[in-house]
Amino acid sequence: MTAILELREGTKEYRGVPALKNVTFTLERGEVHALLGENGAGKSTLTKMLAGVVPPTSGQILIDGKPAELTSPADALSKGIAMVYQETSLVPSLTVAQNLYLADARWFNRLRGIYIAAQQFLQSLNFPVDPAALVSSLGAGQKQMVEIARAVHHKARVIIFDEPTGTLTPEEKHHFFALVKRLRTHDVSIIFISHALEEALQISDRITILRDGEHVVTDATPTFDRARIVRAMVGRALSEELYGNADQRRRRPAGRKVLSVQNLSMGTLVRNNTFSVFAGQITGVFGLIGSGRTETAKVVSGVMKRDFFHGGQVRLEGRPVRYRVPLPAVRDGILYVTEDRKLEGFFETMSIAENIYLGAVAGGQDRSRIVSAADMKKLADEWVNALNIKVINPGARVIELSGGNQQKVVVAKALVQKPKLIIFDEPTRGVDVGAIAEIHQLVNRLADQGLAVMVISSYLPEILHLSDRILVSRQGRIVEEFTGAEANEEMIMYAAVH
Amino acid sequence: MTFTLTGILDAVLGRGESAITVPALDGALRPNRKLDGAFERIAIDRPSGLIVRPDGIVASSANEIRRLQAGGAWVPVYKADTTISCLGEAGDGIAVGLENGTVEIIGGRFDGATLKPTPEARCPVAIAALEDSLYVCHGSASNSPSAWQRDLMERNASGSVWLYDLAASGNRRRLADRLAFPAGIVANRETLIVSESWRHRVLRLQRSTGAVLDVPFGDLPGYPGQISRDGTQGYFLSVFAPRSQLVEFILREPRYKRRMLAEVDPRYWVAPCYRAGRSFYEPLQGGGVKHLGMLKPWAPTLSFGMVIRMDENCLPIESFQSRADGRTHGVVGAVLHGDCLCVASRGDGVIARLGVADSSSGPP
Repeated sequence: MTAILELREGTKEYRGVPALKNVTFTLERGEVHALLGENGAGKSTLTKMLAGVVPPTSGQILIDGKPAELTSPADALSKGIAMVYQETSLVPSLTVAQNLYLADARWFNRLRGIYIAAQQFLQSLNFPVDPAALVSSLGAGQKQMVEIARAVHHKARVIIFDEPTGTLTPEEKHHFFALVKRLRTHDVSIIFISHALEEALQISDRITILRDGEHVVTDATPTFDRARIVRAMVGRALSEELYGNADQRRRRPAGRKVLSVQNLSMGTLVRNNTFSVFAGQITGVFGLIGSGRTETAKVVSGVMKRDFFHGGQVRLEGRPVRYRVPLPAVRDGILYVTEDRKLEGFFETMSIAENIYLGAVAGGQDRSRIVSAADMKKLADEWVNALNIKVINPGARVIELSGGNQQKVVVAKALVQKPKLIIFDEPTRGVDVGAIAEIHQLVNRLADQGLAVMVISSYLPEILHLSDRILVSRQGRIVEEFTGAEANEEMIMYAAVH
Repeated sequence: MTFTLTGILDAVLGRGESAITVPALDGALRPNRKLDGAFERIAIDRPSGLIVRPDGIVASSANEIRRLQAGGAWVPVYKADTTISCLGEAGDGIAVGLENGTVEIIGGRFDGATLKPTPEARCPVAIAALEDSLYVCHGSASNSPSAWQRDLMERNASGSVWLYDLAASGNRRRLADRLAFPAGIVANRETLIVSESWRHRVLRLQRSTGAVLDVPFGDLPGYPGQISRDGTQGYFLSVFAPRSQLVEFILREPRYKRRMLAEVDPRYWVAPCYRAGRSFYEPLQGGGVKHLGMLKPWAPTLSFGMVIRMDENCLPIESFQSRADGRTHGVVGAVLHGDCLCVASRGDGVIARLGVADSSSGPP
C-alpha cells in the first residue's frame, strides 16, 4: 500500500548547521505514528517540513506516492495536512467559533449560524468549550481543544499533533485519545509528538525515534517498552535514573517550617487554602488544571494578589508577609519558577548571560549602576557550568536553546537570587528526557542543601519520584497529604478527583 | 496614630493581627489516632502532672500525688493542702507546684523545702531541675494556674521563669519575664527549652541569663504545655488544647471578651478547653461539627489531644494525636517510661501508654 505521506532523505540546514540529516519517514493511511526524541532531536523540524512551514534543504516529500512541493502551511492544508502546534496559534481576541471558522471566512458571515455550527461540532468531538467564549479567557487545556477541533474541522487527512496533551487534564486526555481513535477509523493519519512515553506506547501504531537530527529506529509499537525508547532516545539507560527507584529512595525529614499558608483565598480559584512547606524537603503539589495550585504559588510569590478582604495569611519563617509585586518576595527569598517559561521565565531575545545577570540584579546581588560585561560573563559561566547548560557561547540568545536548556537558564536565573523557598511549577514540561533527569537531580540537590522546595506537577510519576511529602490540591485548597513512602498513583488521583 | 489607623484598616480588611487564621496540622503534625490506639489506659481523676521516678510513674490528681503500681492500681504517696498544678523532678526528690503559688519539695536531699509565692511568681505551671537548681515557670502574674483560660482571654504576657538555688536556701532569681504563659520547661547544660502557650511557640533561653536565643518551633496549631526528654536528644511536647478560628476571633474582640468574662459561667466561655463535644451548651470550636448527634472526626483543626516529638533542635519529627471524636483529649503531660510513652489526658481522665520505638500503638 502506498504511504499517504513520505519524506525521502530529507535534510534541513539552518545557516549551514544541519537540524535534520537524511531522514526518511513514512506515514501509512489511518495509522497513529509517534515521533519521539530529546529536545533538539529534529522532531519539530521534520514536522514543520511536512506541514509546509519550512522547505527541506534536500530530499523529497511525497503525498500518496507522488512528489509534492509544500510552499506554505495553507498549501499543506489544501493538500490535507494540518498541524496542531504546542504553542497555540489561535487569535486571542476572537471567539472560539470565529477561530474555528477563520479560514472559511466569506463575504457575509452570520455570527449566530457560526456559533450554532461550532456548538454542534464541538459537541460531536465531546469538547466542553463554549463557542461564544473569547479565546483569551480559555485555559491552556481548552485552547488545545480548540486547536485540535480546528484541524479536524478542516477535514485534514494528516494531522500532526505537537505535544497535544502537555496541558490537558487526565480527563481531557481521555477524551483526546478517544478522538484520535475515532479519527483513525475515518482513515485520518496522525503524527503524534510527545514527551510522555506512556502516551506514545498507549496510542500509537508505530514509533519513530530521532536523535541529534538523525533517524534511529522505526518499528511497531508492541516491540517497544519504556526502557528501549529511552535507550534509543538518549543512547543510554536513563529510566532507573528517572523514575525507576522511587520506592527505594530515602525520604528526607522535615526541617524548620519556612512557609505557612493559612486560609489563603483568591477569588474562586484559591479558597481557604492552608498548608506548610518545610526546609530541606521537597513538597510535591499535585492537582488537576483549575485546582488552584499555580494561583496559590503565584500569590505566595507576589505575582498575583490574594483577596482584598479576608484573604488569609502567608507566613515566611513565622513572619506574616504580603506582597503586591514579586520584587519584595524575591528579596525575602521566595522564588517562583514559572510553568510558562517562554512567556514569564526569560527574555527570549536576550542572551543567557544577560538573563542570569538580570536575576542577580532582581535579587539585589549587584547594586552597582554600571553593568560590567566581564562580571556578567563570569556569572554566566559559573551557572552554565553548575547546571550543565549545553551551550557553545553564554552570549547566545535563550530562544536558540532547547527546552531543557531554556529551563536550566530559568532555574539559574532563580538560584542566583539565593532563595530560601523555591517553587517549581511544572519544572519538566516540554523538556526532553535527558534534561528531565538533570533537572530532577538539581531539585534534589537543592533540597539536600537545606532549601525549602515546592514542586507543582501534573505528572504523577514525577511527583512520586521527587517528593518527600505530597499535597493534593482540589477546588482551590489542599485536601490531602501523603508521605512520599505511602503514596501511590491511585491514592493521589482519587484525592485529586473525589 | 498610624498604628491605630493600621489597626482599624487591618480589622476592616481582615489582615495582619486581624487575620483569623490557624496553621494547618500537616507535615509531622499530620492528623492521626495514635493516642487512641494506646495499648493500656489507666483511669485517674483530673491529672495535672506526670513524671517518671526510679520506682515508677508518678502522677498528680487534684491535691494528691500517686504512684502507679503493677496491675494499674494507684497508691497515694502525698497529699497537699491545695490542688496540685504541676510536678517536676528535683534531684532525688519531687517538686510540687500548688494552686496557691507555693512550690514544695518532697523527698530527697531537700525534703520539706518550701518556695513561697511572691506577687510576680505565684502561678507555678512547670518545673525542671538541674543539679541543685530548680527552674520554675510561673504562667501568669495575675491569675492562678487553674485560671489559665482567663489568662488567655485577657491576653496576658506576665509569665516568668525563675531560678531557685535549693542549696542556698531557695535563693531566687528571675531569668525571663513578659512571657505569655510559659507552661513547659526542660533544663539543658547551656540552654532552657520553654514552651510559651499563648504565643504558640517553643523558645530556647540561655540557662545562665534567661536571654532568648531563638524560637526553634513557632506558630503551633495548639497551645503547648509540658516538655520532657524523649530518651535520646529530643523532647516530647504536650499540647493541651487546639487553636481554633472561633477562639482566635474572640481573642480579637475585646468588648465581647470583657462581657463574657464578667457575665458568663466559665463552663460556657468560648475558650480552649481540655475536652469538647459532650454538652450542647458548649460552643462549637471552629469546624467541630455535630451532625446527626455525631461529632465528625474530620473536623479540621480538632486534634484535641496531641503530643509532638521534637528533635534536638526542637523541630517536630512526629506527633501522636487524638481526633475530635477520640478518647485522649487535653494532654497535660507526656513522659517516656522504658519504651513506652505515658500520656496524661486531663480531658478524659486517663494515663495512656503507647509504644514509641516504632511509632506503633502496640506494646513494645
